[in-house]
Amino acid sequence: MPADAESVDTKSVDTESARAASTGTVDRGSGHRLEARELTLAYEARTVAEKLSLRIPDGRVTVIVGPNACGKSTLLRALGRLLKPARGAVLLDGEELARVPTKQIARRIGLLPQSPSAPEGIAVADLVARGRQPHQSWWQQWSAEDEAAVAEAMERTSTAELAERGVDELSGGQRQRVWIAMALAQGTDILLLDEPTTFLDIAHQVEVLDLVRRLNVERGRTVVAVLHDLNQAARYADHLVAMREGRIVAQGPPAEVVTAELVREVFGLESVVVPDPVTGTPLVVPGAPWTATTDA
Amino acid sequence: MTAPTAPTVSTVSLRGYTVVRARGVSFLLHRRSAWAALGLLVALAATAVASLCLGESTVAPGEVLKVVFGQPSPHELVVGEFRLPRVVVGLLVGTALGLAGALIQTVARNPLASPDVVGVSWGATAAVVGLLAYGVVGSTGQVPYAAVAGGLVAGLLVYLLAWRRGLHAQRFVLIGIGISVALSSLTSVFLTKGDGFQAQAAKVWMTGSLNGSGYDQAGWLAWVLLASVPVALWAARAQRSISFDDATAVGLGLRLNRIRLGMALLGVVLASCAAGAAGPVDFVALMAPQIAVRLARSAQIPLLCSALTGALVVVLADLLARRLLAPTELPVGVVTGLVGAPYLMWLLIRSRRGGS
Repeated sequence: MPADAESVDTKSVDTESARAASTGTVDRGSGHRLEARELTLAYEARTVAEKLSLRIPDGRVTVIVGPNACGKSTLLRALGRLLKPARGAVLLDGEELARVPTKQIARRIGLLPQSPSAPEGIAVADLVARGRQPHQSWWQQWSAEDEAAVAEAMERTSTAELAERGVDELSGGQRQRVWIAMALAQGTDILLLDEPTTFLDIAHQVEVLDLVRRLNVERGRTVVAVLHDLNQAARYADHLVAMREGRIVAQGPPAEVVTAELVREVFGLESVVVPDPVTGTPLVVPGAPWTATTDA
Repeated sequence: MTAPTAPTVSTVSLRGYTVVRARGVSFLLHRRSAWAALGLLVALAATAVASLCLGESTVAPGEVLKVVFGQPSPHELVVGEFRLPRVVVGLLVGTALGLAGALIQTVARNPLASPDVVGVSWGATAAVVGLLAYGVVGSTGQVPYAAVAGGLVAGLLVYLLAWRRGLHAQRFVLIGIGISVALSSLTSVFLTKGDGFQAQAAKVWMTGSLNGSGYDQAGWLAWVLLASVPVALWAARAQRSISFDDATAVGLGLRLNRIRLGMALLGVVLASCAAGAAGPVDFVALMAPQIAVRLARSAQIPLLCSALTGALVVVLADLLARRLLAPTELPVGVVTGLVGAPYLMWLLIRSRRGGS
């Protein structure tokens, strides 16, 4: 049965992070299973990025920031094989992504798009259960392993009590937790999240980002997220990637990367960067707002 | 940071599903879909028997069953030779249309998409009317081939025009509608320019009729349906993730373009074959999946229920078409149009209300 052979294969590839998770200690940043090499990304005739290279550190939270239309979501789409690079390649475990069967990628990379849509009237448990699709086949539609993975994903995202509810009836924050539960049930070591906090109020934004952080620390998941809010990025990222016009301007730990100069260069905004009073991470405070006196 | 907690729950209640597990094999059964399929099967059998009983002479159900199971009966000629082939063809045509509609609506993610809308039926119609009106095909025996060819050509044309680095649902429906309009105009041209007598025959065919249907239509349609069973089983599995948005579906490991192409192609072939056997029977492919999804209350269109609904609708409509204005026999397409259109409107209004 080829399906089984594949899943055994995936498990043997699955290295530090899984072992780390089982022993409770997380070995961070020892490798780069996901890597973009000299990527040229384009939609039809419009080139979004050229010769872009990026190595995603294993077991860490990488956050990509940048102004609107800088190509950050496009880069994430390419990392998740949603967009085929015009030139260059995305490598997963040293293999070119375009050459790996998509079902095998789905066992290693889970992704949550910016605005996912669910079939009408679907129940929460049914939705999360569909995250197991890449591990299933026609004759294995719901194994004990599937059930355990779904139960755990729902437990971790506190969606278990919503199990029987319809996804349509949930609030924005609850719904986002359900989608994360589905990506989690997929059981991948790498998670790609495209603006997971858009459309959420600040309390739910914090809730979702805390959840992402917990998954990273407790389960050793590698997370790559595109975020809009620079301060949230600085708070939650281990590795921050700043992009502008399809190029990576700076990357590294937020404390080293986020400076007033960088904010000016990337966003074209005058600002003061101070230590966050709670976390000590860089906090970007934009320059004084416009008033009649300053204008005159 | 909170300490890692071991998950306490290890079972998940999937509302509405029954899990069957044994020796490394496991199946998920959507209970309401299964009950709906069973109910439809019973209703279909009852309607088929009723259709065999009723006619210019009424035959008792017991006698009808004798004929169906090959036992000697005085009604062999009326039931076995006249009525049975017609019911069998209606059943096969309905099954093909129901399945075709379900596949195309799944691919288009739009309840208003169906082979009638995306150009297949009008492709079949234009081909048959054109060839009949200009006397290229003389005998009715050649009509099915012309219909299948016309439907396939129209379907492929819609594909080619809609395909741009993948099949986009919206573009597929819009181009289908455009092609349909163009082909219906072409059909009108054929009807006015062609030979008057032949054009009259073409007009009857255009409304979709089981009048005079026989086993020569049923045979090849049955084979096509049998051959599509494995594809339908494979499609039913893919439906669980194809009903998400594109990005999520690909993220779950679906080969989206291949699956869309496969499902839509099968839908076009089935709809063309159905048109070849009985002419374009309107509304069935549009209606059956929407009735089925409401009966089964499933998150995706249930293929089996949809096929059975299609069969039930056509057999029932043909019974009405034969008996409503007896002894005049209406084409079945007239009845499906008359019954189907208001029913669909009612369903849409009701579901809108239920949702708010």
